[in-house]
Amino acid sequence: MIRPVLVRREVPVRGGQPLAFAVGLLVALLLGAVLLLVAGDSPMEVYRRMLSASFGDLEAFSVTLNRAIPLALAGLAVAIAATMGLWNIGAEGQILFGATTAAGIAQIGEGWSGPVLILAMIVGGSIGGALWALGPAAAKAYIGVNEIITTLMLNEIAIRLIRYLINGPWKDPEGYGFVQAPALPEQSFLPNLFQRTHVGLLIAIAVLAVIGLMVSRSSWGYELRVAGSSGATATYAGISLKRKILTVLVLSGTVAGLAGGIELTGNATRLTETVSNGYGFAGIIVAALALMRPSGVAAVAVLFGAVQVGGQSIKAIGVSDAVSTVLQALILFGVIAAGVLIVYRIEMAEPAGHKARSTSRVRSA
Amino acid sequence: MIFGLTFPETAVIGLLFAAIQFGAMIYLASLGEMIAERAGVLNLGVEGMMAMGAVGGFVFAIETGSPWLGLLAAAVIGGAVAMIHGLFAVVLGANQVVSGLALTIFGVGLANFWGTDYEGVRPEVQFVDVDWGPLSDISWIGRILFQQSPLAYLAVLLGFVTWFVLNRTRGGLALRAAGESAATADAAGHSVLGLRLFAVAIGGAFAGIGGAYLSLSISPGWTVGVVAGRGWIAVALVIFGAWKVRRVALGAFLFGLAMALPNRTESFDLPWDPILWSMLPYVLTIAVMIAGALVLRNRPPAAPAALGLPFRREER
Repeated sequence: MIRPVLVRREVPVRGGQPLAFAVGLLVALLLGAVLLLVAGDSPMEVYRRMLSASFGDLEAFSVTLNRAIPLALAGLAVAIAATMGLWNIGAEGQILFGATTAAGIAQIGEGWSGPVLILAMIVGGSIGGALWALGPAAAKAYIGVNEIITTLMLNEIAIRLIRYLINGPWKDPEGYGFVQAPALPEQSFLPNLFQRTHVGLLIAIAVLAVIGLMVSRSSWGYELRVAGSSGATATYAGISLKRKILTVLVLSGTVAGLAGGIELTGNATRLTETVSNGYGFAGIIVAALALMRPSGVAAVAVLFGAVQVGGQSIKAIGVSDAVSTVLQALILFGVIAAGVLIVYRIEMAEPAGHKARSTSRVRSA
Repeated sequence: MIFGLTFPETAVIGLLFAAIQFGAMIYLASLGEMIAERAGVLNLGVEGMMAMGAVGGFVFAIETGSPWLGLLAAAVIGGAVAMIHGLFAVVLGANQVVSGLALTIFGVGLANFWGTDYEGVRPEVQFVDVDWGPLSDISWIGRILFQQSPLAYLAVLLGFVTWFVLNRTRGGLALRAAGESAATADAAGHSVLGLRLFAVAIGGAFAGIGGAYLSLSISPGWTVGVVAGRGWIAVALVIFGAWKVRRVALGAFLFGLAMALPNRTESFDLPWDPILWSMLPYVLTIAVMIAGALVLRNRPPAAPAALGLPFRREER
């Protein structure tokens, strides 16, 4: 029986990852169009609306950038951990707990001046995120508990913590019976940079730059990458794996928590269960598409911000915004496939035992 | 009264009934994940596959008028969605964590998209609890064990079948070999890709059935977020169960209990807000993982040796 096999190309296709990205995006849009057609919607109309809502004019673009901020920070959080081969699937929970901490600070500091309160909320959010990641970090570092599961479970716990606070201790006394947190004081709103984009953009860019340089240029980052590629090598080189795991996961949580603080001061009027809006999960896709490199995270985050803003806009023509979630996953699938095909080609192989020819060629590659 | 808590009879029976119900649902999903992992494929897409099974099962049951056809559809859809992971993680050898997570996001998104028109539709078709005649009339035991949804008994049956196939058949041996040492399985003449794809598909079908259990039996109907993170608990349960059917079953009952309790805090007069109790399954998962890691610290890992490693014969 002749069957298709993947054979490593002697030279990868020119263009590499950007090409894979373009092809993957195109494939995702095509598959999304098929889905829309099946559902009885017009793909052209949907895509045109999504495009104009996200990139149509400066105001639209400023909304897209607003979305890109938490996506970039969540993506960065995932990417830092992944540099060391760790999976922080809990960015969602860390964002939520960061926002919760920031909301708590807003209650204490109701009378503080704007800049002081905003700074306290954003720093507090980061610390909240760090605390939410501390448990999984310590459990992974000292007793080897799988961090994927622990960080995930803490997402569910964070949602319920907010639900509990909103229903109980933090219930808005002026909510006329509505179950909601009290409105944030007005001086806690982040000022706008231009149009609808708030100052959080500058914070996100600065954090991306600093951490990106730390990972790629500092000895700390070098040790991180060594530990990520081989734990044994790292131990031999005298790198303390336990401390590295602890610091990396906590740093990852800090960045996600920062996103929570920025979301609350920048976009929210009060703490809600949906303050994170799935940014933590989308951040995983963003990081994966950026090949876990902080440098690529920003560009992917803007694209995903656009897909999400576009997704919101099509609700007006009666199309579910779940389309944008599906598109985000399809983009990742498309890019993974294209990425594999850049390095491998599909060949029809003879059955086992008759393929000395192709084996020898692979060895020489 | 024990420790100042009251245990009214009806409440205890109700709790144990629901524990078996939730436990059987999560058991199905966990069994499926365990099969995939025993073949060496970590599939973090359980949450997405369950969501697709839940919506697909409900839609087909409503459209055909038969819960059994809905169940069949859920299994097929679960298996089909799982093959996306099969294509990426097994055939293309992409990172299994990334591919699985993408499958969850995709599955949940697609389920929400598909379910838009079915949200709030009255669940006119659903599974009716089985009546085992005299058995069902026994006090306590009858209500708890013999008035369950047919899917609970299906879960028990599939558990036995899974155990038998994995441990007592040549095919099961080959499948486990693919998860322990893919190169060895390959040298023995088995198709590692074939075995792994099969395991992933079966895992998806089981997750799909677990999802349909939710939408056709436990809380009939479709609402966004009906799976509510239970797919992730199913993944954790496999680790808790050390990749063994019997321990997964035990864990499923334990987690069933934790999932059933939060809705019943009032009948037990428990302190604290029910919302705090709803954290219990997730807190329990973390506690169990930490306890497990402490206990098993110096023992060899129970995980299949080749779990998470892609296999490309050409690059061996």
